[in-house]
Amino acid sequence: MKPKTLHTLSRWLGLLSVLLAIPLWTLIVRVSNLPKFILPSPIDVWLRFLKALTDGSLLYHTGVTLLEIVLGLLVGVGFATIAGYALAKSRTLETVFSPYLVASQAIPVVAIAPLLVIWLGDGIASKIVICALIVFFPVLVNTIVGVRAVSASLYDLMNSLRATRWQIIWKLELPAALPVLLGGLRVGATLSVIGAIVGELVDAEQGLGFLLQLGDFQYDTSMVFVAVFMLVFLALGLYSVVTLLERRFLKWQQ
Amino acid sequence: MKKVVLLMLGLAISLMGCGSLGSTNEAGELRHIKLPMGYIPNIQYAPFYVTVEKGYFAEENIEIEFDYSFETDGVALTGAGELPFAVASGEQVLLARAQGLPVVYAFAWYQQFPISVISAPELNISEPADLRGKKIGLPGLFGANYIGLEALLFEGGVDPSEVEMDAIGFNQVEAYASGNSDIVVGYTANEPIVLASQNFDLNEMRVADYAQLIANGIITSEMTIENDPELVRSMARALARGIEDTIANPDEAYTITLKYVENLKDQDKTVQMQVLNTSIEFWKAERTGYSDPQAWENMNDLLVKMGLIDAPVDLSKAFTNEFVP
Repeated sequence: MKPKTLHTLSRWLGLLSVLLAIPLWTLIVRVSNLPKFILPSPIDVWLRFLKALTDGSLLYHTGVTLLEIVLGLLVGVGFATIAGYALAKSRTLETVFSPYLVASQAIPVVAIAPLLVIWLGDGIASKIVICALIVFFPVLVNTIVGVRAVSASLYDLMNSLRATRWQIIWKLELPAALPVLLGGLRVGATLSVIGAIVGELVDAEQGLGFLLQLGDFQYDTSMVFVAVFMLVFLALGLYSVVTLLERRFLKWQQ
Repeated sequence: MKKVVLLMLGLAISLMGCGSLGSTNEAGELRHIKLPMGYIPNIQYAPFYVTVEKGYFAEENIEIEFDYSFETDGVALTGAGELPFAVASGEQVLLARAQGLPVVYAFAWYQQFPISVISAPELNISEPADLRGKKIGLPGLFGANYIGLEALLFEGGVDPSEVEMDAIGFNQVEAYASGNSDIVVGYTANEPIVLASQNFDLNEMRVADYAQLIANGIITSEMTIENDPELVRSMARALARGIEDTIANPDEAYTITLKYVENLKDQDKTVQMQVLNTSIEFWKAERTGYSDPQAWENMNDLLVKMGLIDAPVDLSKAFTNEFVP
């Protein structure tokens, strides 16, 4: 079979496996005879999705969570890239700050989320910070690894051409580190969804985490499923965006 | 020799009889029941502690393990058949049944809805309509506090979107005292009394003055009623005795509660007795445990009008007085 045919087939197989899950889920509900507050059927979830969509609540709360994620990603990636570059360039800085950075990752976000809500309030700010914190470490580590992986001979070449510091960063270090950096961003993008939800579950009056909790409190399991699926779609969407960025900026690798 | 054999035979028969009483008498077997209470250990749960300490549960072969988890978790677990009972407010039964949970309200503990909205006097909130445009602190968008507030808003013609509901956890006293929330929702017999004892001025609006809702009681499930009705009857019988003893002797109830509420001894006894005595007014009934069918009808209609349920729930399955002594 030709590679292109195989590639097309594998993409369709992926979609098919997702579509097959729906009749399988329906079968489980029918055979188990579980009530819908324990396991709603796909139809129950779909109807609940339509209800939340038409009353505007789903789009509103999804928008809030997406905003938290995007801002959290921007803040987290921004700080992580700058800090990662500095640590990559200075062994002294790395030695000084590494223990704090590793320790910060050992503390579960769910443990510090309530503190952040107390300090920053129950608005969007605390959720953005929680997102940024959860995204920070993977992007930081990948930035350090990516920058340090640049070959010494390339630095020699740039120096021989009398490149300025900024030209070295823009024309050598950034393109060379980009594959690893974007790899870290893939991880960070999906983790950011978790960050937003952790913050909303601690204390929020809006967002998908809030909808999820509301569904739980009102015994509306279908709503819980709708919120979970929306989170999955958000994570997949963000992952796809990073994949597109890789295709756009890493064409030279192909 | 014959006498020895007869004696041995008699002894053996006696021992067999004793053994059978101990191992095969299922009525004598202690049933361990985990009971979700819906709130933290508190003087308001005195009737349950009294029922345990006076042995009323034990006489019914029930051993209670108090579980201070969320009310909604208790309702869900009871509806799923994981637990036989939970302490829950009446409207939770209708909300749950509207989602298909087969929970049944089997014993009424509170006779009136015990929720109040507490506000700073300078806000001049004297009726539900005055809540329009205000920020209101409450434990969360669940349970009796939330439904009580929604009912009050509905009676005042205020749409929920016209107020800001601020989830503050079970920290209403702290939130009000610190000035973070100048309007909070709490239990009539608890937060207003505690705040007043700390010399905080407040206005209070009782939900019971505006809406007839079924309050806290013992819920069970259709499965438990079908498979073990005697357990439900035993639970109701024991608890009724505990409630009546608590009403008759609050001082004794307070002393018993000291064993179950860790920090009660550190709190002002006068205030805690006031909480208990105020709660007792909510528990008094002509027939302890009986819930009023008309109040159920009223609440069913109200929840539909409030938009919390799409259609009235079949009340013939939602509650029963069958097990009330």
